[in-house]
Amino acid sequence: MGARPLPNVRLVKLPPAGPLAPHVAPPLLVEAPVVGNVPVARDYLRLTLEAPGIAASAAPGQFVMLTIAREGELAPVLPRPMAIYGIDRAAGTIDVVYRIVGAGTRRMAGWLPGERMTTVGPLGRGFTIPRNARSILVFGRGIGSCSITTLVREATGLGVEVTVVLSARDRDALIGAETCCEAGASVIEVVDSDGSSDPVRLARLLGHAGHTHDAYYVCGSHRMLELAARLAHHPVRGSTATHAEVQVSLEAHMACGLGYCHGCAAGRPGLPAETPLVCRDGPVFRWARTERQDAALADALAVGSDVAAGAASAPETAP
Amino acid sequence: MTRRKAPDLRVRIGSLELANPVMPASGCFGPELGAIVDLNRLGAMVTKTVFAGPRSGNPAHRLDESYGGMLNSVGIPSDGAAGFVRQLLPHYREWRPPTIVSLGGLSEEEFFVAAEQLAGVDGIAAFEVNVSCPNLEAGGHELGAVPAAVERVIRGVVDRVQVPVIAKLTPNVTSIADIARAAEAGGASAVTAINAVLGLAVDARTRQAKIGTTTGGLTGPAIKPIALRCVWQAARAVQIPVIGVGGIATVDDVIEFLLAGATAVQLGTATFTHPDTMVRIIDGLAARLAADGVASVSELTGALKVGPARHDLGGVLDASAPETGSPVPHG
Repeated sequence: MGARPLPNVRLVKLPPAGPLAPHVAPPLLVEAPVVGNVPVARDYLRLTLEAPGIAASAAPGQFVMLTIAREGELAPVLPRPMAIYGIDRAAGTIDVVYRIVGAGTRRMAGWLPGERMTTVGPLGRGFTIPRNARSILVFGRGIGSCSITTLVREATGLGVEVTVVLSARDRDALIGAETCCEAGASVIEVVDSDGSSDPVRLARLLGHAGHTHDAYYVCGSHRMLELAARLAHHPVRGSTATHAEVQVSLEAHMACGLGYCHGCAAGRPGLPAETPLVCRDGPVFRWARTERQDAALADALAVGSDVAAGAASAPETAP
Repeated sequence: MTRRKAPDLRVRIGSLELANPVMPASGCFGPELGAIVDLNRLGAMVTKTVFAGPRSGNPAHRLDESYGGMLNSVGIPSDGAAGFVRQLLPHYREWRPPTIVSLGGLSEEEFFVAAEQLAGVDGIAAFEVNVSCPNLEAGGHELGAVPAAVERVIRGVVDRVQVPVIAKLTPNVTSIADIARAAEAGGASAVTAINAVLGLAVDARTRQAKIGTTTGGLTGPAIKPIALRCVWQAARAVQIPVIGVGGIATVDDVIEFLLAGATAVQLGTATFTHPDTMVRIIDGLAARLAADGVASVSELTGALKVGPARHDLGGVLDASAPETGSPVPHG
């Protein structure tokens, strides 16, 4: 999936300063020893890397570039962008949860404890939580669920009430529930196989809870972004804003992760300037509207584009 | 053991002297890399291609990995010459190695407009004229396949700037030697060979071309033999230095390109794989030359041996011996 703009929904960069500005620390290049690499669900593994410098400065929603080629190997040539799933500052480790989807992630599954893997991070601009937020709703679908766990932990740590909706094709592919529960979040799991992940059903379920949230976060699903945008369309407590904050983490193919290769943007010949880069300007963007888009919202956000509301994680295809 | 003097890694590209022969390939580098790699170690820095005016890049997907390499069609997004000088060049000036600015255009005239805008700007040590991008909507690549057009563009840029001008050549031509000669005739101080090899990636399941612009440029180790051949052909065709690029990722690769006729080398895709590859290669090259007793890296340039290789059985196997007989005498 590439990051193409949504009609009716405009994604903009998080502000460079102020309460919603993301924390950005200089990235590090490290040869990180593998501490663990264990299955956590069908086709999903959790990789733990010893990277104290990255663990010390990583913020929720940031990612790392993991080189697949071992020391002395020339290929696969591209490193993989992977969302940071967990940060353990005391242990000096970071966790990445990945799904085996192609040649690169298949190789990763063979990494053994003690091996040192080329890792660059923390990268990108991650999720931010509005200062007055009392409750937030977080959507994660499939591998996209791996981008939101650091946010969930940060928010519950701040005393924010967190509801997490985890979605997947079927029960075996659900990921992150335990992590989110341990962090103190309420978790709702939905799947395609029993119809519970259907946005209309989900909207009814969440609407019946009679609860509005101060911010909505999405990763891994375009339909969930539409739903979040619809749910966010209400007056915000203690603010003059007419809609709650909505942030989405995008995925894209990347080569550098630092902003110089421009592989992760999507443009069009004739445009006067380059569009935002998912790696440097994102991967987390804010959902924004114009008046005209508000009118379109009344039509229940019938959006038919193919934005990549996915995780900054393993966007690879099986070659 | 006798102590040898550290080998001399310095090379000359026209009037430009580089501390070592290793520099990044245009498009695969930016000062952003300085966050994790010491750019002061490089022989030179090469910018992404700068156009006269600002332009967007290509639609997604712009990248696709392939066997031993990758396809890209980024499409050279650019802030334009003025934007480059204002926003990006100051970041290059923070580092010591000379900055080589890659110059782009969709027409001959556009190259000249960009050259005029950048001529005399402090901090630009040389220009590398990109007459070879495979991913532009018009111009770049087709222009680079016509010797007369290459000569005109190079001469036009040489006439407008005061620093060395390098021509970056495409491999997607019948005779790269002809293009190299045209660049030399136009006044180029060097040629860079090669730009990406035009390719196509297909998703068998979805039946979709994987790259947004359908075709893209193949780079990485997969193209090294093509690049070596082009460097060898270009080096035999011209008197000016050749900068070799295409799939270089190791010290051995660098030596191979030097032997084929390169004076300096560029690395692109390998920096994506291991971001500190260029620095590791500079260290490794110095160690290798010292170990091999090579006093100066320039000794290797063009030292390729060609023709039948000698081997242990040389002179023993006799093609003229009758097939019925035994070619090797029994003791």
